[in-house]
Amino acid sequence: MNTIIELQNISKQYKGKKVLENISLSVYAHQIVALVGKNGSGKSTLLKIIGGLAHPDAGVIDKHLPSLNIGYVPEVTPSQILFTPQEYLYHMGTISGMSRKQLQQRIDYLLTIFNMQEARHTRIVHFSKGMKQKIMIMQAMLEERNLLILDEPLSGLDAKAQSDLEDTLASLKDNGLSILLTCHETKLLENLVDRVLVIQNGQVSQTNPLHDTENHQNRVIFEISSLKSLEELLPFIEIQQQRSLNNDIKELIVTVKQEDTNTLLLALLHQNASIKQLLPTNRKKEEFYTHF
Amino acid sequence: MCYQCINYLRTKNYIPPFSIFILFIVVNYTFVPNPILDSYSFTSIMLFFLMGWFTITVFHTEEEGQKVITILHSKGQSAYNRSLFIVCVAIAFCLSTVSVIYPTLIGAFSEPPSVLHLLMGFLSHFSLSVLAIALSAIFTRELIRDRQNTWWGVLSILIIAVVIATLKNVILQVKGLIWLLPPVHLVLEMMSSDDSLKYIPTVFYWQFAWIFIYSMLWIGLFFFFLRHKRKW
Ligand SMILES: Nc1ncnc2c1ncn2[C@@H]1O[C@H](COP(=O)(O)OP(=O)(O)OP(=O)(O)O)[C@@H](O)[C@H]1O
Ligand SMILES: [Mg+2]
Repeated sequence: MNTIIELQNISKQYKGKKVLENISLSVYAHQIVALVGKNGSGKSTLLKIIGGLAHPDAGVIDKHLPSLNIGYVPEVTPSQILFTPQEYLYHMGTISGMSRKQLQQRIDYLLTIFNMQEARHTRIVHFSKGMKQKIMIMQAMLEERNLLILDEPLSGLDAKAQSDLEDTLASLKDNGLSILLTCHETKLLENLVDRVLVIQNGQVSQTNPLHDTENHQNRVIFEISSLKSLEELLPFIEIQQQRSLNNDIKELIVTVKQEDTNTLLLALLHQNASIKQLLPTNRKKEEFYTHF
Repeated sequence: MCYQCINYLRTKNYIPPFSIFILFIVVNYTFVPNPILDSYSFTSIMLFFLMGWFTITVFHTEEEGQKVITILHSKGQSAYNRSLFIVCVAIAFCLSTVSVIYPTLIGAFSEPPSVLHLLMGFLSHFSLSVLAIALSAIFTRELIRDRQNTWWGVLSILIIAVVIATLKNVILQVKGLIWLLPPVHLVLEMMSSDDSLKYIPTVFYWQFAWIFIYSMLWIGLFFFFLRHKRKW
């Protein structure tokens, strides 16, 4: 894989408080990397350093492409933009010194891939949050980019706007862009992201619980009249919750390993249990998500 | 820069100081006839304060988030702030012109002002406006975090600048100090000349030039602080 940017031993502190300590990481071409961590863990700080908006106290940033062009979308979306997308993008492009013709082509292109042509002449103040977020990404892409840095692109968007934006990001990746983003949204991690970096106590570690199949388990919810008959199944299962319904029927929620699931279900059916639900779960993944 | 202008106009932040400006001008010339240089001197001081207000609103036009984006596009905060200064100076230029032309158009003066009067009037308005911009910019959010302090800072420095003009004799006793303080008094002195002035003494040009140079020094200071902000 082609590394496009590499960070070596980056440290940063604010007023004596260490936010980042000796962080090293690389971003590869055509990848979407997510940076996750608690509030205040330094995600935005790291992105600003990579985007060149803040200077690290120590460490080097190595650009492996001679003309690495980074687009940066800040965490706070301005709420009052008194322009239409056409005007706004045009002004921003002019400020960056793009020629009129080239700029207009780029704006047309961006409006097309972001699916926003109809809103072209509506003022941005009237937009929904999802649309504003798209405008923010578009302005970062006015110039040809290799790497796009997005600070919490999905926060505050509803499910539909999120999946809409996810699709857009996926298509950007298909167009050859690398994306580095922070997020709290767990759903995004599964569908979109190639690599997850966890930032904790100033350190970055790479985890990849998402593609690891060993820990796949199923969660079974069933009703059964006698617990006694379960005894022989106990080695396979882990009871997570049990509660009594009326007339001695109990409802149980248990987890079982993937490979034992069939055995369990068969046994339960033999015991006249009634199966309410069967869901795949991933324990490690759940533990992972409870970090945030 | 064009963007900054349009954005500023669209925020409508200019409306309060602008209406006050119009109101002042109109009220000031309700009764005719008026002495020429005296009236100009008065409106110059007024414009001096209002430019402080305009400067703050111009520098605070964009939200913080948008500012980050615009600075990224303009490749550096110096270029960004330069365009803000240009917008301010453009406003100063327009308002100075209006303050000089308006009374002549409605014939508010006892005798029609000569080119000399117009030039003096324009220079006094414009030089004081530029001075106000330079002094106020130091207190904008670039250098001062707290918005409250911005307003107090600008207001007090502008008032102090005018007070200095009246305390000149006291200040003269400390040698050299007068060169450090904002030269508002120069304008007031020049403008208290008699209307029957036949030519502009060369020293006046130098004094106006000094005001502009003084303002440039403050603006230079602004960019200096900007670059070394991290250490503050
Ligand atoms: N300009 C600054 N001055 C002082 N401290 C700062 C500054 N920027 C960030 N910090 C501190 O650095 C730490 C990390 O902040 P950062 O914004 O990077 O966190 P984050 O992971 O992005 O949090 P969130 O999830 O809330 O966006 C915080 O404790 C914050 O107080
Ligand atoms: Mg953040």
